[in-house]
Amino acid sequence: MIFRAVEDTDLISRVRRGDIEAYNLLVSRWEKRVFNYLLRLTAHQEDALDLSQDVFLKAYQNIRKLDDPARFGPWLYRIAHNEAYSLFRQRRPETALDGLENIEAGRNPAPGFSVDLSLAVTAALDRLNPEQREAVVLKVYEGFTFDEMGEILGCPVSTVKSRIYTALDLLKRELAPAANRTGNRGDAC
Amino acid sequence: MLSTDSFPCGRAEALRDFAFDELPAGERHEMEQHIRACDDCAVELDRLRMTTAALRILPDREIPRRIAFVSDEVFQPSMWARFWNSGARLGFASACVLAVAVLVSAWHVSSAFKPGAVQTAAAVVASASPEQIQAVVTRAVARTREEDAKLIQAAVADAEHKRDARYRAQMVALEENFEVFRKTMNLGYARLGASEFPGAGQ
Repeated sequence: MIFRAVEDTDLISRVRRGDIEAYNLLVSRWEKRVFNYLLRLTAHQEDALDLSQDVFLKAYQNIRKLDDPARFGPWLYRIAHNEAYSLFRQRRPETALDGLENIEAGRNPAPGFSVDLSLAVTAALDRLNPEQREAVVLKVYEGFTFDEMGEILGCPVSTVKSRIYTALDLLKRELAPAANRTGNRGDAC
Repeated sequence: MLSTDSFPCGRAEALRDFAFDELPAGERHEMEQHIRACDDCAVELDRLRMTTAALRILPDREIPRRIAFVSDEVFQPSMWARFWNSGARLGFASACVLAVAVLVSAWHVSSAFKPGAVQTAAAVVASASPEQIQAVVTRAVARTREEDAKLIQAAVADAEHKRDARYRAQMVALEENFEVFRKTMNLGYARLGASEFPGAGQ
C-alpha cells in the first residue's frame, strides 16, 4: 500500500507538470473503484458512469489545489461524494438516495456463495438510510479509515462511527439467519 | 450508536474499532487479551466478521467504458486565460484606464497652452479689473475641469468596453474548446465501444 501511494504521488507530480498520460494512468487505477462507489450510491449504471467522468475531469482541473498528494484517494472520493449529492439535489431535492432501485439484485455473488445470501445482503443494504449505506460502502467495500471517511463525508469521525456501527447493528440482525444457513464458507474478514 | 443494552460488556465500541483495525496499536494487544477472556466480546467479534464477510460477497462491477483524456491542451485554459483569471485582470484593466487617462490629460494640457493663447490672455489681463480677471479665471477653470471629466469618463468607458469584449471572446473560445473536447471524448468512447463490443449497437 505504501509503495502504491508513492507511485500515485509521483503520477500526481507529473500530472501537475502537464503530463496527460500520467493522469490517464492514475485514472485507470481508480476508475473502477470510483465507478462502483457511485454505482452503490446512485443505483444507476449510466448515472454512475457519467458521474465518474465528471469526477475525473474535475479532479484533473483542480489537481493543483490538492495540498497533500498522498491523500489523493480521499480527495477524489470527496469530489465523487459531492458530485453524487449534487445530482441527487437536482433530481429529488428532498428524497435523495431514498427508494433506490435495487442495483445489487442484478449482481451475481462471489464464487462459493449462494444467491440467497446475495439477495439477503442486497435487501439488508436497501433497508439502511442513505448516510448509513454510504458509510458501509466506504468502510466495507472501499476500505477507508474513519479519518478518511470523515474527510470524504465532511463530518466528524464520531459521526462516521455512529453511522457505520448503527448500520452494522441493523445488518447483523438482518443477515444472521442467511449467514447461518450459508455457514462459514468464504469468510473473507 | 451502539446497542449497549443488548451487549453486556462495556468495551463494545473498542471491540468494533478492533474489528476494523482502527484501534491504536498500543490498545490492540490489550484488546486481544480481553477477547480471549470475555466470551461476550468473542461472540460479538465473530458476528461482526460474519456480517462484513457477508457484505463482501457482492463483487465490484467492471466499468462499462474506460475513462481516458485525450489532450490537456483541448480543455485546459490557455496561458493567457490562466493569467487573465489569476487576479491580474483587475490590475491590468486599472493600469489600462490610468494610462489612457494620463495620455488624454497630457494631450489636453499641451493643446491648451499654445503660444498664441498665452499672448491673447496677457492682452486681456492688461485692460481688465481684478474682479473681472477673477471671474474669467474661475469660468476657465470650471470649463477645463468639466472637459477633463468628460474625457476621462469617455476613456474609462472605452477601456471597459474593450475589456468586456475581450472577456466575452475568451469565454466563447473556451466554450468552443470544451465542445470540441466533449465531441472528441464521445467519439473515443464510441470507437472503444465498437472495438470491445462489436455487436453491441445492433
